Amino acid sequence: MTQTDAIADVTVRVQVVRREHTGLMLVALVTLAALIILVALCAPVLCPYDPYAQDLSSALQPPSAQHLAGTDRYGRDLLSRIIIGAQPSVFFTLLLVALIAITGVTVGVLCGWKGGRLDVVLMRVSDLFLAFPGLVFALAIAGVLGGGMTNAVLALAAISWPKYARIARGLTLGQKNEPYLDAARLAGCTTAQLLFRHILPNIAGPILVTAMLDIGTMMMELAGLSFLGLGAQPPMAEWGSMMSDSRSFLQTAPWTVIAPGIAIFVVVMVFNLLGDTIRDYMDPKRRAGRRNARSE
Amino acid sequence: MRQLKWKRNGFAILAVMLAMAVTLWGCGGSQGSTESTQASEGAGEKTFVYGTTGYGVQMDDVGLNPHSAYSGWSAVRYGVGETLFRFNDAMEAEPWLATGYEYLDDTHVRIELREGVRFSSGRTMDGEAVKECLDDLIATHDRAPLDMKIAKIEAEPNAIVIETSEPCPALINYLGDPYGAIIDMQAGVTDDRNVSGTGPYVADTVSDTEITLHKNEDYWGGEPKVDKVVVREFTDTDALQSALQSGEVNATYGLAYSSYALFENDAYNIADCFTSRVFFGQSNYASPIMQDESVRTALAMGIDKASFVETLLNGRGMPAKGPFPSTMRFGDDTVTTESYDPDAAKKLLEKAGWTDADGDGIREKDGQKLTIRWLTYPGRLELPLLAEAAQATLKDIGFDVQVNSTANHTEIRKDTDAWDVYVSALTTAPTGDPEYFFGATCLSASPKNFGNYSSDELDEMQKKLHTTFDADERAELAMKMSQRILDDHGYFFASFLQMGIVSQANVKGMVAHPCDYYEITVDLDV
Repeated sequence: MTQTDAIADVTVRVQVVRREHTGLMLVALVTLAALIILVALCAPVLCPYDPYAQDLSSALQPPSAQHLAGTDRYGRDLLSRIIIGAQPSVFFTLLLVALIAITGVTVGVLCGWKGGRLDVVLMRVSDLFLAFPGLVFALAIAGVLGGGMTNAVLALAAISWPKYARIARGLTLGQKNEPYLDAARLAGCTTAQLLFRHILPNIAGPILVTAMLDIGTMMMELAGLSFLGLGAQPPMAEWGSMMSDSRSFLQTAPWTVIAPGIAIFVVVMVFNLLGDTIRDYMDPKRRAGRRNARSE
Repeated sequence: MRQLKWKRNGFAILAVMLAMAVTLWGCGGSQGSTESTQASEGAGEKTFVYGTTGYGVQMDDVGLNPHSAYSGWSAVRYGVGETLFRFNDAMEAEPWLATGYEYLDDTHVRIELREGVRFSSGRTMDGEAVKECLDDLIATHDRAPLDMKIAKIEAEPNAIVIETSEPCPALINYLGDPYGAIIDMQAGVTDDRNVSGTGPYVADTVSDTEITLHKNEDYWGGEPKVDKVVVREFTDTDALQSALQSGEVNATYGLAYSSYALFENDAYNIADCFTSRVFFGQSNYASPIMQDESVRTALAMGIDKASFVETLLNGRGMPAKGPFPSTMRFGDDTVTTESYDPDAAKKLLEKAGWTDADGDGIREKDGQKLTIRWLTYPGRLELPLLAEAAQATLKDIGFDVQVNSTANHTEIRKDTDAWDVYVSALTTAPTGDPEYFFGATCLSASPKNFGNYSSDELDEMQKKLHTTFDADERAELAMKMSQRILDDHGYFFASFLQMGIVSQANVKGMVAHPCDYYEITVDLDV
C-alpha cells in the first residue's frame, strides 16, 4: 500500500466514523428532545409540590433534600415550577415555530409559484419586516398588544416569518421548471396537486432543518420577552419570567436564577444540537456518502 | 492539526474563564467599594454621587421648578429649594424659611420671614420675593390652588399676609409641601428647568436623568461640607445596587428590599423610617361583583398583610389597617378593620351564596365566577409582589384573581369596565394633615376616586374637616372618616412603606425622613 492509498484509506474511515457518529448523535438528541416534550406533557404528574402553592415561611430556601432546586421568594418549590414551566416554554415555542414556518412557507410558495405583482408586493413586505432589528420590533409589537404568552408568540411570529418566505420562494423557483413538474402537468395534475404533492415534499427538507434550528432561538426570544415582562404573566411559571422575577436575588439567593437558567440552557442546547445534527444528517454530500457506504 | 485544535479549545476555555472571572468580580467586592468611590477629595474638592429611583420622567419630577408637577420634590430633596415650613419626625409643621405665623382670622394668616436669607441669584428673600413666588405657584401649579385656596397675598418688608377665599386650616401644612419651595421669580426658570433657591446647593446642570450641583457659599444655615453633588437617575434597581457596590455612587434611594441583605455590614449605613406612603386598593363600584359587600369584606379578610411585610418586604414595612400610620395621632391605632382570616372569609362568602359548585376551587353565584381583575403597576416594586401574594391567599378562599400589572395603568383605570380592584401606592399625608387623602381619593368628586366610592356621610365630614382649625377636632374627624371607608370596605390598606437610604459608611448626614422630602441637606458630608 502506497502512502497515498494509506491516506485515502484513513480519510474514508474517518468519514465512516463521522457518519456513524452523526447517526448516534441524532438518535441521542431525538431521545432527549422527546424526553423534554414528555416531561412537559406529564408535568402536573411529575411535580413534587404544587408549583403555585405559596408558603412564605419557606421563602428563599437553598437547595436541600426537601426542595432539590430550592424555593423562590414566595416559598414555592423551584423544581416543581421548572417542571411545570416546561409547558409554556416548550409548547409555546413549538407553536411559534409552526406558526412562522406555515405562514412563511405559504407566502414563499405563493410568491415563487405565481410570480408577478403578488411576488413583488409580498417580498417587499417581507423586506420591510426584515429591515427592523428583530427583537426590538417584537418588543414594540408585544408592548402594543400587552403582556401574555399568546401576544408574545404573535409578536415574534410577526417578525420571524419572512425568513421562511424567502427560503420557500427560492426553493419553489428552483423546483418550478423541473421536468418532473412538466410531466405531472401533462399527467393532468391540478395546481393544488402540483403544489401539495410535488413542490412541498421537495422543499420540505431545508425548511424542516431551518425550523429545527429555530426552536432554540425562538425559545430564547420567548424567554427574553418574558424576562422583560412582556410574556408570561404572574403567577404562570415560565423560565424567562422566573429568571426575571428573581434577578434581584442573584447575589443573595442565586439558585432562584440559576435553576431556571439551567433549564433554558439545557433545552435550548438540545434543540440547537438537534437542528445542527439533522442538518448534517440531511446534507446531500453525506447522504451520498451513506449510499456509497451501503453499496460498499 | 491536533495542535491547532487544542490551541482553539484552549482559547475558548480561557475566554469562558475570563468571562466568569469578570462576572464574579462584578458581583463581589462590596467590602472594598469605598476605596473606588467617586466621593473623592481630589484637589481638595469633595464630590458626592447620589443614585436614586425617585427622580425622572416616570416620577413626574424632572427639573427643579417647584411650580411644575412634582418637581418641587426634586428641588427640596436635592438641597436647592426650601419651604416656609418644614415637617418634623411627627409630621408637624415647623418654621423653616419662616420664623412664625399668626392667624388674624379664619381667612387671614400673617407669616414672619427669616432674615438674612438670600437666593442663589444673590437677591435677598423678603416679603415681595415670597409673594412673587407664591403668586406664580397659584397661577401655574395644578394642585396648589386647590389645596391652599389663596385669594390674595400682601407683602410686608419681612412678612406676608395670606388671604384665603375660604377657611383653610391646613394652609401652614400645605406651605410645607415641596411645591411651596421659595424661588427667585426675577431670576426665573431656565430652559433646562433650573431655579434660584435658598438651599445649601445650587444646580449647575439639570437634565431628565442627572443634576449636578455645587455648594451654596452664601447659605444662611451654615457652610455645606461637600463641594460638588451629582444626582443620577436609575430606573433599574439592580443597576442601582451594582452602582453602590462598585462605588459608582455613594448613596442610594429606592434600592429593592431584597438587596438590603448585601449592605447590612460595616461598609454601609442604612437609614430608614416609616412614611405615610401606603399600598392600598380601591374597589370599583361600577363592577357588579364589587357591589357585593360580602365580596369586598372577604377580599379585605383574604390578604395576609403580616406575611407580605415580613417575607416579601423583608420586614421593611408596617402592616396597615387604615390610611395613616400609627405614628400619627389619627393613625392606625385609632381605627379597626378585618384582620387576615381566611376561614371567616369563606363562611361569609358561603352565607352570601358564593359556593364552589363545580369543584374547581373558584366560587360561583348565579353562574358568575368569583373572578377579580386586579389592576396594578410595576413602577413600585412592592405592588406586583402584593398582587401575587394576594392572588395565592385569595385563591384559597375561592377567588380567582387575575393580575394586570402594567405601566399603562393610568389609562386602564379610567375604564371602569376593565378592572375590579385598583391597587396603588399613595402618600396619604404628605403635609402631615389628613384632609389631603380624603379630598384626593375618597369623596364623591375626588380626582383619584377611580372606583366611584361614594358616601354622603364622608362628604359631610370632609366639609366639616375643611373648616375645623382645632387640631384635636381634626384628628377626631380624620379618625371617623378613616373608620367610615374601612367599614364600607371601599378601600383596603396593605402596608406602609419604610423608606430607606443606603450609603457608604463614610457618608454622614443622610437621614431618612417620614415625609420623604429632605435628602441632601447642609449636614451631608463624605
